[in-house]
Amino acid sequence: MSRAIGIDLGTTNSVVAVIDKDGAPRILTTEEGSTMTPSLVWFAPDGPRVGEAARAGLDQHPDLTLFAVKRLLGRRFDHPEIRKLARILPYELIESPNGDTWINLSAGRTVTPEEVCGMVLRDLRRLAERHFGEPVTRAVITIPAWYDAAQRQATKDAATIAGLTVLRLLSEPTAAALGHGAHRGANRRYLVCDLGGGTFDCAVVDVENGLFEVLATTGDPFLGGDDVDRVVVEHLIRDARATRGLDVTSDAIAVERLRLAAQKAKHELSSQPLAKLTVEELAQLPSGKAVEYTRPVRRDELELWSSPIIKRLDPPVAEALAKSGRRREDIDEVLLVGGMTRMPAVRRQIAASTGKDPSTIVNPEEVVAVGAALEVARLEGVIEGVLLVDVASHGIALSTNGGDCELVIAQSAVVPTRAYRVLMTRADDQARIEFDVWEGESTEPARNRHLGRYAAVELPAALAGDVLVLLEVTIDTDGAVRLSASELVSGERLTLEQIFHAGLTRAEVTKLARTYAEAP
Amino acid sequence: MTVAPIAPASAPTAGTRTLHVRCTTWDQVHVFTTRKLRRGKLLSMKVPFAAEPGAGVTLGLELPNGLVIAIDGSVLRASPVEGDRDKTWIEVELTGFTEEVLSRLREMASGDAAPAMPDPVAPRPSATQASADSLPADERELFQHLTAELRRLRALPVHEVIGVTRDAEPAELRRGWMEHVNRHHPDLFARRNAPAISHLAEELTILCNRAYDRLRAAVVAEGRGASFGPAIAAPAGWLVGFDDLSSNGGSDARVSQRMPALSAIAASHTVSAAPAAPPVVPATASGSAPNVQGGEAFELRARTMLGDGDAETAREVLAAALCVYPRSKPLRSLYYVASALGALQQGEVMLAMSQLETALAHHEQCREAAAMLEHVRKHGPDDTDSLKSLFR
Repeated sequence: MSRAIGIDLGTTNSVVAVIDKDGAPRILTTEEGSTMTPSLVWFAPDGPRVGEAARAGLDQHPDLTLFAVKRLLGRRFDHPEIRKLARILPYELIESPNGDTWINLSAGRTVTPEEVCGMVLRDLRRLAERHFGEPVTRAVITIPAWYDAAQRQATKDAATIAGLTVLRLLSEPTAAALGHGAHRGANRRYLVCDLGGGTFDCAVVDVENGLFEVLATTGDPFLGGDDVDRVVVEHLIRDARATRGLDVTSDAIAVERLRLAAQKAKHELSSQPLAKLTVEELAQLPSGKAVEYTRPVRRDELELWSSPIIKRLDPPVAEALAKSGRRREDIDEVLLVGGMTRMPAVRRQIAASTGKDPSTIVNPEEVVAVGAALEVARLEGVIEGVLLVDVASHGIALSTNGGDCELVIAQSAVVPTRAYRVLMTRADDQARIEFDVWEGESTEPARNRHLGRYAAVELPAALAGDVLVLLEVTIDTDGAVRLSASELVSGERLTLEQIFHAGLTRAEVTKLARTYAEAP
Repeated sequence: MTVAPIAPASAPTAGTRTLHVRCTTWDQVHVFTTRKLRRGKLLSMKVPFAAEPGAGVTLGLELPNGLVIAIDGSVLRASPVEGDRDKTWIEVELTGFTEEVLSRLREMASGDAAPAMPDPVAPRPSATQASADSLPADERELFQHLTAELRRLRALPVHEVIGVTRDAEPAELRRGWMEHVNRHHPDLFARRNAPAISHLAEELTILCNRAYDRLRAAVVAEGRGASFGPAIAAPAGWLVGFDDLSSNGGSDARVSQRMPALSAIAASHTVSAAPAAPPVVPATASGSAPNVQGGEAFELRARTMLGDGDAETAREVLAAALCVYPRSKPLRSLYYVASALGALQQGEVMLAMSQLETALAHHEQCREAAAMLEHVRKHGPDDTDSLKSLFR
């Protein structure tokens, strides 16, 4: 059997981890010596570049360099979050024929988020193949716990495009707890706070006799290190205008340079009280001479600027506790995950919100990937006595004839789970029954997410109401939805036809997988 | 009698497929062995997967007493069904269907009422067969065990599936479910890489998850517990007292009746704490009485606490109040004032100032915030005690 790897596919950075021969997890380093690969793809004129090699594209072609694509994965174009992103992102988003979000490259070419994520995953796969010296075809990929069925499917499709079979989609808080070594310890109740580049996720995870349960997840999809960078850049622009008389607001490249410098300064300020921020060429004088911009930044300045952002960490934490029926005292350990949690102000805020000093994790950026690698070991039977239990992240509802939605699987249902519904023909000799599948708990279709419209076809000819179709809706252990139908009386299996389906179709995924397998 | 292939058609197994024959009466077993099987060994049927001659097939014959016997065989002939490319007619030679098996079947059929045999009747794979058999012996046993278990559980009422009584306590329910999940979860069988077994395990887990979910929903509906994610726990307590709750929403009339009494209590409390202070009802932060937004009881309590300098508790009270009255401007501004006071007490001037500015942003007329901001600009973090008088 070929090798399997654990991948933390992040919004800004991705990490890949494997289990060594001695059973210890190991983070793989890139050729540049970093443990993290930026989740970046630059569609450069001479072919796409991924990871660190694409960083130059941020500077040169902001409209062809795709970052934070994970946020677009499996999302409808009319989703409020996508509407907001479409204004922020330097590249152009367009609506696909079935309502998904695609990316329009300025060359007139469109790519799907699945492809872009697939390219990042393929890069990680190659990294692992270089490490092992043999092919890698299977992976555990971590996803946010709140991902819906379409986003889970899109992640799987991205993996398929990258030539990877998904062993399991693992929720990030569980992975963090696993990576922290919760499976070795006693029964504990964890609060996992994951503040990464783009999102803040908060989850209450219980470990009881080797059984991992995520009791509640909350979060803020627009809260992360990037927001801090943005605020710092705003202050720097103001400062540049006030002290140097330079207005760089409309200069995208200068703003990007400021952002990179701000990011560097932010990292330094996590360990020292003062950092020097330098941009070598912020602007050019009419004479063509470059203007250098330097400014010392103090830690308390950074904390003051970012305090409105850091204050926003409190509500999700309180909400997670409330949703899990816990008080602050009931939490045994607070885990901080994600690079942003290195910032002292973040630690202070979480400590204030939870009333508990967070545990120090040596590698907050990598612990999720370690968890994914341990999951590989668990599925291969190396680690025993550990089980991860999850609930359906969203309810599943059905509707027929454009009517109201009827909830068939509730949100709190433990997966894998299944529900049965009987559909009836309404006309004599009706050959097909169409129905819609929705994700969400509302009876109003407009409030739910449309997963697809399907039809049970080739029904036997009979009087209206005589043909009963038994529909099985299954949510599997990965949280993906499966449908199957049979004729109730004879028990014969019926073919289900996809009329409309969110995300890519199987055929498209297979085709893309083949294209990318051939690509260099 | 139903015949159904167990392995999903898309399963990537190159080796053995498993066919499932279920007989619900001994008569059916008899019919199967005598008429369905030609020459005692040959079985032809339509299957929904492509089969090659020579491929291994295992027949799971499910008997009326719940036992499943696995019979090995191989495909003799295969021909595609016209008009349906997914299905194939195959003729299977059941090499494992020996005289010995047949005699045991007869034995069982005759002693119909007798309880199930203590050991599963798996035909011993003969030496010639062993190489063709891709399911190892322990896996076959596991397969039989899981099939029997699934069949047994399917017939049971929900509560018996997870082995609890009808009116089980939440803790028992959880224990019963955990026990099952720890036995049957598909992850436990993942390393075997056997699709048929993973499928059975998933079915078993689905069965007990559904049972657990249904019982859990019933317990929650009865108010005996609350469910959080996959867990179930004792019902959560109330966050706020009944007094505070009853001032919510449509019961405004009662609030206004109750308010004087409440303010009197608060006022008397203030008086006893600081005799010099005038015994008046503290004005609401907005000062606009007609625009009552609710939550006055909370505000009074928080003010009293702020007056005592207990900023942290006041902040928590206000946070709880904001859950009930999220739109109340005075409560919101007071929350930030409380948080600023807390910050000041710890000497964090920057934070306090930003909090006070936020308070003013939420509610311009917040006198306390304005006054405190003035104070902080003049004195910095010193002399926080004098701020207490603002709230009296």
